[in-house]
Order: sequence, then C-alpha cells, then structure tokens
Amino acid sequence: MSAAEPAPTAARPAFAHASEAELARILDFYDVRWEYEPHVFPIRWSLEGDVLESFAPDFYLPELDLYVELTTLRQRLVRKKNRKLRRLRELYPDVRIKLFYARDFRALMLKYGKLAIVDDLSGAVGQVVPDRDPPRTPGVEPEAGRPDGGRRRRSRPAVADPVDGAAPAEAASR
Amino acid sequence: MSRSVDLEGDVAEVLLSEDEIQAKVSELGARIGEDYAGRELTLVSVLKGSLPFMADLMRAIPVPVRIDLMEVSSYGGTATESSGLVRILKDLSSSIDGQDVLIVEDIIDTGLTLNYLLRYLRGKNPRSLRVCTLLDKPARRLVEIPVDYVGFTIPDRFVVGYGLDFGEVYRNLRYVGVLRPEVYAAAAEA
Repeated sequence: MSAAEPAPTAARPAFAHASEAELARILDFYDVRWEYEPHVFPIRWSLEGDVLESFAPDFYLPELDLYVELTTLRQRLVRKKNRKLRRLRELYPDVRIKLFYARDFRALMLKYGKLAIVDDLSGAVGQVVPDRDPPRTPGVEPEAGRPDGGRRRRSRPAVADPVDGAAPAEAASR
Repeated sequence: MSRSVDLEGDVAEVLLSEDEIQAKVSELGARIGEDYAGRELTLVSVLKGSLPFMADLMRAIPVPVRIDLMEVSSYGGTATESSGLVRILKDLSSSIDGQDVLIVEDIIDTGLTLNYLLRYLRGKNPRSLRVCTLLDKPARRLVEIPVDYVGFTIPDRFVVGYGLDFGEVYRNLRYVGVLRPEVYAAAAEA
C-alpha cells in the first residue's frame, strides 16, 4: 500500500561522512528530492579576484529550495563552519541554508530509534575514505564543471552502510 | 525494552500539565469552530500519537465533523520496514474529494512526515487542507510547512505522554513530560 514509487537510482555519490549517507536515506524514505554538494559558493577572494575560499553545502533540496549542511563534529570544533556559514549568508542572503549540528543529528537518530548507532555515524568515527571527484575549481558551478553534472539525485551512498537492518526495537514510533 | 518502565518516574519534568493541555484544546476547538462556521469539517488524525489529541479536539469543535485515521511508517521505526520508502499503513476510509480537511498531528518537528502527507492528501482533491498540531518543535524543522493551528511551541527536548511515545510506551500519560535522558541512553545500550 505504498503511496510512493521508488525513484530511479542514479549514480552513487561518494559521501564524505556516514552521517550524510544516513541523512540521504532519511530524505529518500520521506520522498524528498536531494542533490549532494551540487553548488559551490565562493566566500573569499584575493585582491586579484581569485577565489580563496568557498563553501559547498552538503545537500540541496530542490523542491524546498533549501541547502542543508550537516556537521557531526563536537560543538566546540564547529567554529570554522559557523564562520563560513555566516559569510555565505552575508554574501548570498537569498540562499536558504540550514546547519544540522551534532546535537541535531543525535536528536534525529533518537527520534528514529537509532541512537545506538549515532556514535558510529558521528565525528571522526563516521568519516570515510571517500572515492570522490577530483578537487573542484572554486567558483565554478558544478552543473557546468562536474563530471556528474550535479545530478546526483536520490542516489545511494557509496560508503559502507553501517546501519542497514540495524533499527533497534526501541524506535520512538510516535 | 529491556529495562523496566517506570511510567511516571521516567519523566524528568512535566512540560505541559493536563489542565494546560485541556485549556489549549478548548481554545483550539473554539478557533476551528469559528473558522469553519457553517461548514462541515473532516479531521484526519495521524496515528498513533495524535489519538488522545484527536479525541479531545473533536469534542471541542462546535461544528459538524467527520473523522478519519491515517498511519504512515516511520523511518527506522519497524524491523519489517525494508523498502526504504515511507509506507501508508492505514489509508483514509472515505473520499475527501471536495471536503474541508484538517490534519490533526500530535507534534511537528522535522516536518518530513507532514510534508509527505500533505502532498499525498492534496492529490485527493480536498476543498481545503489545513494542519493543526498540539506541539510544534521548530528547532528541529527541516521542511518548512505552514501550520494553521498550533497548541504549544515547545523547546528542543524529547517529550512523551498524551499520545507521544518512546518505544511505544508512555502514550497514556495525561500530561506531556520530558523523558529522562538515561531512559533512552539505556535503551540505546540494550
């Protein structure tokens, strides 16, 4: 009696972190379209106009016109990311972005009864050795410059999935 | 659940008392009654958590109401859920084509379930489709959804009671309380 039909699976993005793979799975479950790191926003330039620093939010949800950046680092270690986010908001005020901190991700896992595995998906433990694309040229729109054309929609993670079938019986079903 | 449940003792703090909830339900019912004066309304309750709220709210609304129930699977919520897609476990019993429909929710946090339900129900051509929730936890919002009736905006804490569960327990508390962290920490270790 499913109301949603599985979307076509595209190429598998190489998630940089296991928590990103988990969030992608959650979005898939609720039939929310997503793209993985489709856009790069330059946020600092040299006097010559060269891009010195850029920011590529983890997810873009096109139907909601929302970017999501997920960080599972400890709160005291996210200062750099907070600074980049502030800068992005100053330079691109029309861009809607939500930062998910470790505590937010933990709460999400609690809600879905997956608290037992949250430590395996967080911080340095959740980092994987990614099979990622070559470094991108900052400031270049990935749709034009990325090998995948920025069309990594609804794809499955290339990282090892530590949670498949691991849903504990304690799910807060609501 | 391996540890024994202490229904009242597992609650660290009462966030919303029974009296506060009932006063709010009456207030919401009166508002809804004014907004739908002269019309018939179909309330769609999202199981299981919204059941107590639905039962109280429908009796506080002074216009004719029909009721229907829906249940959708929750991510990670059941061991049998293997498709990786949300599933409608209980669909509407009757058509809502041309009707004024109000979704009754216990709590909105990420908005993912509600976003899915809204899209699903819009496809059934209701005359109007609105949302009423007892609790709103905006700190956890991922999908921004306009909510027409909100009982309480609550802080970012894990709450149980008045329909809300942890591991299918605590729904029958007459108030909304904050679950002791050691309860879900113990469950995670079990």
